[in-house]
Amino acid sequence: MRTVESEIGAILQGAISEITQRSIFRRLGGVARTPLQHLSAHDRQAVQAELESSVRLFAPARSAELIASCARALALLGAPAAAAGAAGAAGLAGAAVAAGAAGGPAGGVFRRAVAGAFPGGAAGGSAFPGAAAGGSDKRIAVTSEKDIAAARLEAWSEAVRIGLSKFTSVKVATAVSELARNIVFYAGQGSIELHARLDAHETRLEIVAADQGAGIAAETLESIFAGTFRSERGMGKGLVAVRRLVDEFQIDTRPGRGTRVSCVFRGAR
Amino acid sequence: MKLRGEQELPIIQIRSCLLVSIQAELHDRLALELQTALMERVRALGIQGVILDVSSVEVIDSYITRILNDIGKSVRFMGADCYMVGIRPAVAMTLVEMGVELDAVSTALNLDAALEKLELLS
Repeated sequence: MRTVESEIGAILQGAISEITQRSIFRRLGGVARTPLQHLSAHDRQAVQAELESSVRLFAPARSAELIASCARALALLGAPAAAAGAAGAAGLAGAAVAAGAAGGPAGGVFRRAVAGAFPGGAAGGSAFPGAAAGGSDKRIAVTSEKDIAAARLEAWSEAVRIGLSKFTSVKVATAVSELARNIVFYAGQGSIELHARLDAHETRLEIVAADQGAGIAAETLESIFAGTFRSERGMGKGLVAVRRLVDEFQIDTRPGRGTRVSCVFRGAR
Repeated sequence: MKLRGEQELPIIQIRSCLLVSIQAELHDRLALELQTALMERVRALGIQGVILDVSSVEVIDSYITRILNDIGKSVRFMGADCYMVGIRPAVAMTLVEMGVELDAVSTALNLDAALEKLELLS
């Protein structure tokens, strides 16, 4: 049966690694396993738009050729692919409105805030801004190891979409990977939220990793950041690594009440 | 020769070296399987070097680093060398910023370079 996964997979073979392909198809969800002839025009365009951003990201050298092949496979060649691209651009332009993040919620018992390289960046936790104007908010449920790759890819493509540099986007993906792993390994389940904000001067991507797990005791947290802590899976370094990667970092945690890590990447516009 | 598992990580022998191209998402069990399979082969085949190709890995976090480093450590304990090849520039920069250690594996630009370095030792 010719499905999106089989047809597009054949096109991407050799250009995009299998790990990444799997993540891309997972993002597409059920549509990936739907026979091509059963796809609605809307589905096809959605798939194409998704593939376009992924191909630009992961196979920049051959993106034009691959995008055309994908469009052909989806029987979209002609206007729709271009229209999807234009819609994406319009979305970005429409997002260029300043968004004021609401004041932070009261921290937990233990609160650690580290201002990053950007002096203006007071690391106040932002409340869930919801559908505030000028940006986008995404939430990825993290309940098993396979969600780590999905969260990482989602974060990566979001970073690229809002115009963060290639290197910064890899850092975003790495930070999300660390945070999602912590959730799966230590809390069992939780979520990763991505809040993108664009204004006239900068692009800002906030990552919030939250879980209702066992939380981290204050003394343990101290030893983690002092570099003396090593967990069973050698993960004591994950949080430290994230803090080094980001421009702003904050963790709210308390034993029995879960953990909330909020961090921010910034890019000039 | 293939390592059977939920996801497969084929181990290829080139002269006295073993090559593994990391093409799957590493997790605890897969890493352990890979490590065990490599150890057995290093011993059975008189292997001098193990080369881990990470050129298709777009993101390496501290967990993956630890897995690769542990593989390097065990390979070294057995008297062989462990090389990691094909690290992407953005990945390298991220690893530097994170301050992670990869002390048990050597690195080479690509497979050819690693083979050359290993050949010098034989």
